[in-house]
Amino acid sequence: MIKVNGLHKSFGNVEVLKGVNTHVKKGEVVVVIGPSGSGKSTFLRCLNLLEDPTKGEIIFEGQSITSKENDINKQREKMGMVFQQFNLFPHLSVLDNITLAPIKVKNIPKEKAEEIAFRLLERVGLKDKANAYPKQLSGGQKQRIAIARALAMSPDVMLFDEPTSALDPEMVGEVLEVMKELAKEGMTMVVVTHEMGFAKEVGDRVFLMDQGIILEEGTPEEVFDNPKMERTKDFLSKVL
Amino acid sequence: MVGISEFLSTYLGYFFEGTGITIALSFFTVLLGSVTGTLFALMKLSKSKALKRIASVYIEIVRGTPLIVQVFILYYGVAQIIQNSGYTMPQIQVFGNDLVSFVSIVIAMTINSTAYIAEIIRGGIESIDQGQMEAARSLGLNHKMSMRFVIIPQAIKNILPALGNEFITVIKESAIVSVVGIRELMFSASVVQGTTYKIFTPLITAAAIYFVLTFSLSKLLGVAERRMKVSD
Repeated sequence: MIKVNGLHKSFGNVEVLKGVNTHVKKGEVVVVIGPSGSGKSTFLRCLNLLEDPTKGEIIFEGQSITSKENDINKQREKMGMVFQQFNLFPHLSVLDNITLAPIKVKNIPKEKAEEIAFRLLERVGLKDKANAYPKQLSGGQKQRIAIARALAMSPDVMLFDEPTSALDPEMVGEVLEVMKELAKEGMTMVVVTHEMGFAKEVGDRVFLMDQGIILEEGTPEEVFDNPKMERTKDFLSKVL
Repeated sequence: MVGISEFLSTYLGYFFEGTGITIALSFFTVLLGSVTGTLFALMKLSKSKALKRIASVYIEIVRGTPLIVQVFILYYGVAQIIQNSGYTMPQIQVFGNDLVSFVSIVIAMTINSTAYIAEIIRGGIESIDQGQMEAARSLGLNHKMSMRFVIIPQAIKNILPALGNEFITVIKESAIVSVVGIRELMFSASVVQGTTYKIFTPLITAAAIYFVLTFSLSKLLGVAERRMKVSD
């Protein structure tokens, strides 16, 4: 579903990604772990071109999204993204946050969009918050709304950029629960996270990134229980 | 004290005429300046290096030269151009001045105000967290839609109060245009000085009127600002 070939990204003189190659298959949950500064988030943000790769190619559903003629807005409709800082639109109600893109981008009629929104709100357990504004919500609620907002475009893949890192500990669970549900329903997911428990439990494949490359990849058992690289062992010993 | 009440009853109406013109002049300046200022702000925020450059140069030059110089250049410049074209302008009166004078002075003031308003608008837009744009783009909204539905509505809350302050500034600075003979509040004061041979009373009267104008405007702005905070 997503093919990445020789992905490089530099910010000025700093090369953050030094040739990432991988392939994410449909229905797969890929969890990306690694020390901070290893390029995990940059890698994820390259997948929907929030960062413009310096070199390399990304192919999404058979279409090269890095080619010059490509209109990235089309693929972004199919790639939901959830951010560490939630990034809900503070001037819009929860309902309007969710229906904005379906109405404006997909031209879905308002009533239909709201129907979809209510169904999603029910799914994330926040139906009663439809008319609330983001600042009235807790961090965990905000993130669940952000997930619902991304799902409203019925994406083929969901990208999660450290979705629980900005949350108070007691709110991490409710967000992970929603993500687990999503994984169970067969959603293709790429998740950058520090939640090793989630990686073990939900991940089909784990990437360990370090210094701009995927250092080690495999099933959670392979990576967590029998890491091949010294660097992986070192990292895991610090976080587990 | 008899002198003052007599002075006011004779000349206050004349001062008020000038006040109306000052308000009209400032209003048109800020109104037009908002349009052109938005344009320059967007140029400065655009990806095109050339557009950015043009906007920066304009803003720096305008902000780096005195308003009175700009007014002289524009006012006499426009008159010169019209004269050279050999076209005789119809003598129409607007706001107590002839049309050409009034329009050229509004243009001069607008050119000045545009630079300041452009910076206000740019600042307002840049104050919105980058994550808002990213979230909007990640949902498939293009740049224009993201600006329109996500960034601008939030930026407006920062921009409007600053724009109100610019209006207040323009009201005060517009006093300068009296030097080229535009009839407005400050000009009224000079004329009354000439007819009464009083130096201070006309000036104090003008100052009081300017103060009432700007003070009530800034109070009004405070109320509006608090209202907007409530709806946050």
